[in-house]
Amino acid sequence: MLRPRLPDNAYLKTASMAAAATTDHPGFLLTYALRLLRVLVLLALWRYVLVDRVNSGPLSLAGVLTYTLIAEVFAEQLNVRTSLNLAFWEGTLVIRFLRPMGLVRQLSAEMVGPWCIDFVLFSLPLLAMAPLLGVDPRPVSPGLGALFVVSLALAILVGLAMELITGAVIVGLDQPVWLIEWIRTAIALLLSGALLPLAYYPWGLGELFAWLPFAAMAWAPLAIYTAAGNPLTLLASQLVWLAVLWPFGVWLWDANREKLVSHGG
Amino acid sequence: MRKTYRQRVRSADLRDVLRNLLHPEIRVVQALHGIDLTVRRGEIVAYAGPNGAGKSTTIKLLSGLLAPDSGSVRSLGLDPVRDRVRYVGRVGVVFGQRTELWWDHPIAATFEWKRVVWNIPQPRYDRMLGLVRELLGLDDIYRTLARELSLGQRMRADLALALLHEPELLLLDEPTLGLDVLARRRILSFIKDLNRERGLSVIVTSHDMAELEQLAGRIVLLHEGQIAFDGVFADLRRLLSKHRVLTLETTSEAPPRLMGAELLRTDAGRHEFTFDAAAVKLSDLLEQASAQTEVLDVETHRAPIDEVVADLYEHWLTRSPGAQTDQ
Amino acid sequence: MASSTFTPTQLGRLWRLYAGMDLLYIARGPGVAFTYYLAELVIGAAAATATFLLAARFDGIGAWSRPQILFLLGYAMLVRMLVTVFFSYNLAHISRRIGRGQLDHLLIQPQPLWAALVTEGFAPVSGSSMLAPAAFLLIWSGQQLDMTPSAAWWALFVVDVLASVVIVQSFEYAWGSVAFWAPRAAEEINSHSWDMLQTLIPFPLDGLSGLALTSLLTIVPAGLIAWYPTRVLLGVAPVSWVEAAALPAAALLFATFAAWTFTRGLRHYGRTGSSRYLEYGHRR
Repeated sequence: MLRPRLPDNAYLKTASMAAAATTDHPGFLLTYALRLLRVLVLLALWRYVLVDRVNSGPLSLAGVLTYTLIAEVFAEQLNVRTSLNLAFWEGTLVIRFLRPMGLVRQLSAEMVGPWCIDFVLFSLPLLAMAPLLGVDPRPVSPGLGALFVVSLALAILVGLAMELITGAVIVGLDQPVWLIEWIRTAIALLLSGALLPLAYYPWGLGELFAWLPFAAMAWAPLAIYTAAGNPLTLLASQLVWLAVLWPFGVWLWDANREKLVSHGG
Repeated sequence: MRKTYRQRVRSADLRDVLRNLLHPEIRVVQALHGIDLTVRRGEIVAYAGPNGAGKSTTIKLLSGLLAPDSGSVRSLGLDPVRDRVRYVGRVGVVFGQRTELWWDHPIAATFEWKRVVWNIPQPRYDRMLGLVRELLGLDDIYRTLARELSLGQRMRADLALALLHEPELLLLDEPTLGLDVLARRRILSFIKDLNRERGLSVIVTSHDMAELEQLAGRIVLLHEGQIAFDGVFADLRRLLSKHRVLTLETTSEAPPRLMGAELLRTDAGRHEFTFDAAAVKLSDLLEQASAQTEVLDVETHRAPIDEVVADLYEHWLTRSPGAQTDQ
Repeated sequence: MASSTFTPTQLGRLWRLYAGMDLLYIARGPGVAFTYYLAELVIGAAAATATFLLAARFDGIGAWSRPQILFLLGYAMLVRMLVTVFFSYNLAHISRRIGRGQLDHLLIQPQPLWAALVTEGFAPVSGSSMLAPAAFLLIWSGQQLDMTPSAAWWALFVVDVLASVVIVQSFEYAWGSVAFWAPRAAEEINSHSWDMLQTLIPFPLDGLSGLALTSLLTIVPAGLIAWYPTRVLLGVAPVSWVEAAALPAAALLFATFAAWTFTRGLRHYGRTGSSRYLEYGHRR
């Protein structure tokens, strides 16, 4: 029987191997179970917390529920993580430079492979399940849906830039990898709007945080999807952060290349 | 005793992801099969075999980290698994590929940690600490963080750590992996001294046969989970190889043709041959050589044990397909 | 030499030992200590900030006033701090130790495994950065609520905090035990279970539907860790002595279940061992 084959391409092969490694053992499905439970609870929580309060925010209750669901559907993309910190931890970054592939591209390939598995086994079923959960998973309009796709792509690129910069910080400050990772995760959770829409932050904090790069990673695409913000402003802020972070990240790496490459090894 | 493992066999093809998940192929590996082994107190036993023969599995069974599927393990009069806490207080274990040192602490801190956790009485601790520091040359690195040590330094520190509580049995799983010749020599000499002076029993695994021959009187050779040989090195040689190596230095660059000997290598008038000492006399070979050229120097010795055993492994490899596959 | 019986004195000795090592580690340099404390503060604060901001925005959440929410957050921080103090070095994230084949390091120590598991993670210096913020929140909110706690209340408070800690660890161990059977796939399962708890702990759960609430009191007991005990301690709703005793009873049940799963996993490990060994994260 003829079986479709992926074309011979270094990045596709890398992505497919990373994807296969994820599915080593059925145990990985437990993480999906945990994620499903979390989103179910968050949906119930928002219904309880916001039922009498939604008129004071830019999102309706239905909008917040959609926001929460879509944040979980695209959780991996809204909080980009590559294997860079693992390479630092193991001291094996130097091996990446022995491959005839760009560093960022190979890290991206390793990241995207498991995303495909996640999408098929978790994200798409969750989207399909949305009506059963009483959530409308559709964007407010098809146009905003299209802009969401663009914004999501930009969010991923901003996330990759943050990965590079975080790596350089880890090496530059000579601190444990996991410690800087914790700080970054915590700050991102707080400032990105992935858990709580920035629109619900008091004292104007939401408006302030919306200008930070973390917001470009999660709040921007989610706000476009749910019409909680001006799409053009949000896209513009993402582009600005891309224009700032990428050159900065590349400069940091070039300036510290030797130290970065040999870190831990 | 017996020990089997079940391994999942996976396809490298992404298209087989679902099959890997839902209907995985399982391979049953007989790591140990009918091993019956006794080690006397005060012995140094070399435990060798090709990769996958079951050496590390045996060390783990003896350390109490694994239980056999059938049969029993008794060491120092105890069951290593059931009596683990008492047992490991009398045993020292060094795994060459992993360290017991606390990474971000100096060696001194790890040693002090050991004193507390193993509840080593202070006088004994002080005595053993002095001994290992001197014999393993740890003074210069005693206050160095573990992560800043070279591999050889780390191995010495790990060996010292394993001995601080004055164990009766020392289990070494590839203790000289990746070490330079000087570091190896120091470690081997140290172990032999401890064995001679304190009657420390040692079971050591390694791929370096020459090193094992230096260290141990007895060698147990494993093949596919079974004991293929258990005896002294001299008997192993006699059993496996009657071959000797003859090296001739001659005036001519071209090697002489010797009937009954095989030329191994030649370089600028120095020619190395191998021959079966049971079939061909050395004197005949020398006579042949002298008839063809002027012989300046003669050397003869046994084939290195590494080559003897490598030939054996190769013979096993060509003869046996190895593990079964189950689904 | 170590005997097979283990006494409280030995436990105390081990705690002292690891406390000393923790101090040594933190005191390597001013940068290390500063980064640690900053990291813990940021992480601990971030976990509670979403709830805090919501409470600030809406002057409370549901039936809970703002000071009551702050008390809940302070309680949650205190529990988190205690878990960090007693179970650092991946002893809260036990799936990492198991999945990376690092359990052998504990098994070659001449002490019962449980003793190693409750002592080796003791980090009173590096793990206590949340103590001050937690204490501040509890005291400040208590003042706002005009609380005058009795001795009985304090006893209940201590019991509930300990019970919450036991529930967190039991949850981590129950999920972490999966790594015995799937060391590679489940190595990071405790990261997910921990993140899940930390996300859900700070929320008051009154008004949740039966199924959601039941899940949060059983499968993922986030509700038992801060919401339920705070509800009892603050008398948010009328509470009987049965409900007051429920948390310690639940802790016992969770601990029993976790011990059962872990023991089963350990038995499986004794048969199969670990073909995997990764040294990163070990004693670092």
